[in-house]
Amino acid sequence: MQYLTKITARDLNVYYGDKQALFDVNLDVQKNQVTALIGPSGCGKSTFLRCVNRMNDVIDICRVEGKITLDGDDIYREGIDAVQLRARVGMVFQKPNPFPKTIYENVAYGPRIHGLASNATDLDEIVMNSLERAGLIDEVKDRLDDPGTGLSGGQQQRLCIARAIAVSPEVILMDEPCSALDPIATAKIEELMGELTENYTIVIVTHSMQQAARVSERTAFFHLGIVVEEGETAKIFTDPVDDRTRDYITGRFG
Amino acid sequence: MSRLVESHLTELRQKLLRMASLCEAILETALESLWTRNAVLAEQVKPDDLEIDRLDVEIDELVLRLLATQAPVADDLREVIASKMIAIDLERVGDLARNVAKSAISLADNPEVPTPPRLRTLADEAQRILRRSLDCFAERDPNKAAEVLDDDDQVDEDEDLVIRAAIEEIRTHPEYASQEVDFIMVAKNLERVADHATNIAEGVILAAEARIVKHAEKLAQ
Repeated sequence: MQYLTKITARDLNVYYGDKQALFDVNLDVQKNQVTALIGPSGCGKSTFLRCVNRMNDVIDICRVEGKITLDGDDIYREGIDAVQLRARVGMVFQKPNPFPKTIYENVAYGPRIHGLASNATDLDEIVMNSLERAGLIDEVKDRLDDPGTGLSGGQQQRLCIARAIAVSPEVILMDEPCSALDPIATAKIEELMGELTENYTIVIVTHSMQQAARVSERTAFFHLGIVVEEGETAKIFTDPVDDRTRDYITGRFG
Repeated sequence: MSRLVESHLTELRQKLLRMASLCEAILETALESLWTRNAVLAEQVKPDDLEIDRLDVEIDELVLRLLATQAPVADDLREVIASKMIAIDLERVGDLARNVAKSAISLADNPEVPTPPRLRTLADEAQRILRRSLDCFAERDPNKAAEVLDDDDQVDEDEDLVIRAAIEEIRTHPEYASQEVDFIMVAKNLERVADHATNIAEGVILAAEARIVKHAEKLAQ
């Protein structure tokens, strides 16, 4: 199977005021794959993730130099609407953050404001379809009018994934999506990621080496704001090229 | 930084090194008992073989515990997998040495027949290859290990010559068939020792360089 590049970062430098967070980052993300970003806290992996849907725009002191393209199109060029971009590049956060609304409304909100449904039947279909793809439908189909916040942590996270999917994104960014979940809920999300790659490209930031090894096709190791090594996950976890990668994944880092 | 996995890996390595030195010793004793037709000496390999088996079990337990609790990756993972592979081969070498000792006892119990000269060469070669592979394991030296891989041609040739000579002897002196069959079995066992020695070298290469080199020649055809 031939993979196409979905996202490219070229000579990406990111600053928070005087502090530089990313240094000349070059990274390709392949379409319909899971790419894991690993590295110690403060290494820049989340900063990178937030650049991909321009979430850093909302931080005043944040400055981005270099280039990130989505399907070859520079997402920082003039004329790019960040809100539209975020519909194409969805995000799931560390802590499940459903809206204080019903389960149905959580998923319907995005398609409604983006005008993706022409009528109520359309919207129903989008909501049900998204819940199904997020692996949540069987658990919530009889209580769509219950508040989303009443679900368990794992269900809430899958609701957030359904909400992200509902606006038909191409890419889903996940920032430690399982760190607040128990192993069973984590396993469900991990399994779901594999299924989601049929339609979406996933980039996940994780502190769990084992999670990165389990879910991703490719892994990038960030350290001190640079990409030290990027490659096939199986290769990184059996035979990393760079000593720093090896020291990190084997826990030798002091 | 001290790592939990480190102490486990050190323990694993110590057990393997102990197993390796027992293997060298047990083979030496078995062969000495063969050359001297000394059944008493041959019996002495038993406790060493038992100790090798005990270490083999301990290594299995340790490997399971390591994989379950430490989830090793990269160099650590390769070290664990290679250790398990090497333990299998060492345990087999112990068994083969014990077989040689059994043949020695059988030969000591029967009228003496001269040892085929090539059997000595074969034994020297097999011991030399085993020593080299254990050295490269102890030194974690993949380059030395690569040399061991191509080193068992002489062993195969000697085994063949010993077997042919023994068959010939059986034809001309059927009354010595039992002794000659013992020589054939010893030759077979020694050839297997050399095979396991090359497997050990393959384990060293896997651990050091993440390369799987076993069956490389056969699979390339």
